[in-house]
Order: sequence, then C-alpha cells, then structure tokens
Amino acid sequence: MEMITINKKGFIFICFLFGVMLAIQINSLKKEETVESQDTWELRQKLTEAMKTESNILKEIQEVDERLAQYETKNAQSGRSILQDTLNDLRLEAGLEELEGPGIIITVSKADEFINAGDSNPYISPSVLRKLMNELNRYGAKAISIADQRIITYSTIRYIEGETKVDGFPLKNFPMQIKVVTEDEESAEKLYNYMQVSTISDDFFIDRFNISISEPKQSITIPAYNGDFHIKSMEIVN
Amino acid sequence: MWLPILSLIIGLSLGILTDLEIPNQYSDYLSIAILAALDTLVGGIRAQLQNLYDEKIFVTGFFTNIILAASLAFLGVQIGVDLYLAAVFAFGVRLFQNIAVIRRILITKWSFPRKSEKRTIK
Repeated sequence: MEMITINKKGFIFICFLFGVMLAIQINSLKKEETVESQDTWELRQKLTEAMKTESNILKEIQEVDERLAQYETKNAQSGRSILQDTLNDLRLEAGLEELEGPGIIITVSKADEFINAGDSNPYISPSVLRKLMNELNRYGAKAISIADQRIITYSTIRYIEGETKVDGFPLKNFPMQIKVVTEDEESAEKLYNYMQVSTISDDFFIDRFNISISEPKQSITIPAYNGDFHIKSMEIVN
Repeated sequence: MWLPILSLIIGLSLGILTDLEIPNQYSDYLSIAILAALDTLVGGIRAQLQNLYDEKIFVTGFFTNIILAASLAFLGVQIGVDLYLAAVFAFGVRLFQNIAVIRRILITKWSFPRKSEKRTIK
C-alpha cells in the first residue's frame, strides 16, 4: 500500500476537517430522531399506560403458567377436564356462552322533542355505535350486547335500507338497551365514570337520540351469540 | 498513508465526543458540504497517484468547493429551485470518475509492480 502515500500536511488537516464535518452531521441526524415535544404529563400518562400494559401482560403470563403447571401435574384423566375448562373459557371469551357479571346498562331512547311530525324515523348511525363499542372496549368492557344481540369479534354494524342492523338484526325498537359486562365491580364503576364524562352522548344527540347510563349493577346477563361463525381459512384436520 | 486515516478517525471521534450539532435547517448544507469534501478528498488521492498533486490547489479547492456547494444550495432555497441537486450531480459524477481513475491506476500498479516502483514518488 505504499503507492498511496500522501503525507502532506494540508491533506492530513483536511482529512481531519472532513471527519469533524461527518461527525457533526451524524450527531445532528441522530438528534433529529429523538426530538422531544412532549411535556411531563404526556410522558407520565404514557408511562402509566405502559405500566398497565406490563401488568396485564404479567398477569396473562401468570395465568398461562398456572395452566401449564396444571397440565403438567395432573394425570391424563383430569387433563381432559382441564381441556374442557379451556374450551369453556374460550367459548366464553368468543361469546358463544351466556355471560353474567357486574356491569352497566346504557339505554338509548328517541329524543322526542327533536322529532317533528312527518320526520323520517331517526336511526343510530353505525359509526356512532362503533365508536361507542370502541369506547366501551377501551374502558374495560368484557362483553357487550345491543338489544340483546351479543357483540362478538365478528359482529357487523351496518346501515341497510333505512335501518341500522347489528349482525342482520334491525335496531328499530326504542328505547333500546346496550348491556355491558365488565370483569369485576371495580371496573364496572370505572366504566361508569368514564361513560359519565364521555362525549358519546353528544354524538347520539346529533342522531336525535338520548342515552342514559345506569349505575353499576351487581349482575347483568348477556345472551350468547346466536349466529354462525364464518371461518374461511381454517378446516378440521382429520 | 496512515496519517490521513488517523487524522480522519481523530476528527470523527472528536466530533462525536464533543457532541457538536447544527440546527436542523442547516443539515442540508452540511450534507452537501460533506459531499463536496468527499469529492475533493478523492480528487486529491487521484492527483497524488497521477503525480499531479499540488497542496495549494488541493486546499483551496476543498474550501471553494464546500463554499460553492453550500451557496448553490442556499441560492436554490431562495429561488425555489432545487439547485443543490446540481451540486450533488456534479460531485457525484466526478466522484465516480475519480474512483474509476484511481482503480485503473492501482490495477496497473499491481499488475506491473516493477514499473510502479519507479513511478511512485513520495
């Protein structure tokens, strides 16, 4: 490598300058990625959320671990009953079983004072209903039914020919009840508080509906899902 | 050979360690200046291999190129034309040409080692 021999002071100095420039650019670009525009409270909130997620995940891990231990310790006969338990749990989670628990009832009724003679029948727009579902789920709902129609993962809320339909069932009898079951009474209380401050009632009001939210109740029953599951990309292995 | 690389490494580490940084809006200028500097450096190496290296020309070329490139970019921002692309293009093309020349020279030197010994001048 003798042939590239540039031991001139100028060249060395400029190599040095080039290095500094490169370093500055790298520094600047690195800083760009981590521009902090959040205040303490936002960060706190994020931290709380992250901690909540963490504790949830830990809880889940614990549950799974427990189940694993059960599988391992019990003999074949009782292993079957555990499988049965798992199946029941899954059915419960999927909405195929009736569910009873603490929760709240939201009653949706027509806002008669805004309905003049000759007006078309008001309907709840699907987007408002979906927003409500999302809010309920976010704030701790375990199971929801609209007018005794169980809402599951596959449930559809659509507007079809002047009526909003949940899984094909038209919502036309008002007042209508939306039942929400939560994990325990504490989360029912929380959900109730959240719904008190939620702006969702304004959205319903635009559609000419009033909603009222019941106090948390000890026991609410939500019916099982009565439709079919359409699973396209799965089949039974023989 | 090793002194330029050593000084490059010293410069890099010094820059990173001092945590110097420039405001966001100027980073475009710096990037184009870096391109100009890279072009000049490669040009210098090529000139050395061809025995045409002149320190005055090299050092002045380095600063003029940087200043020209940065002012071209600045002018481009002022008149709303992406003029810095002209600089990127010019430097980019020349960079490749210089590297091609360097490659040819090195290949020739390695292929005919005896001749190269005569040609190499420190």
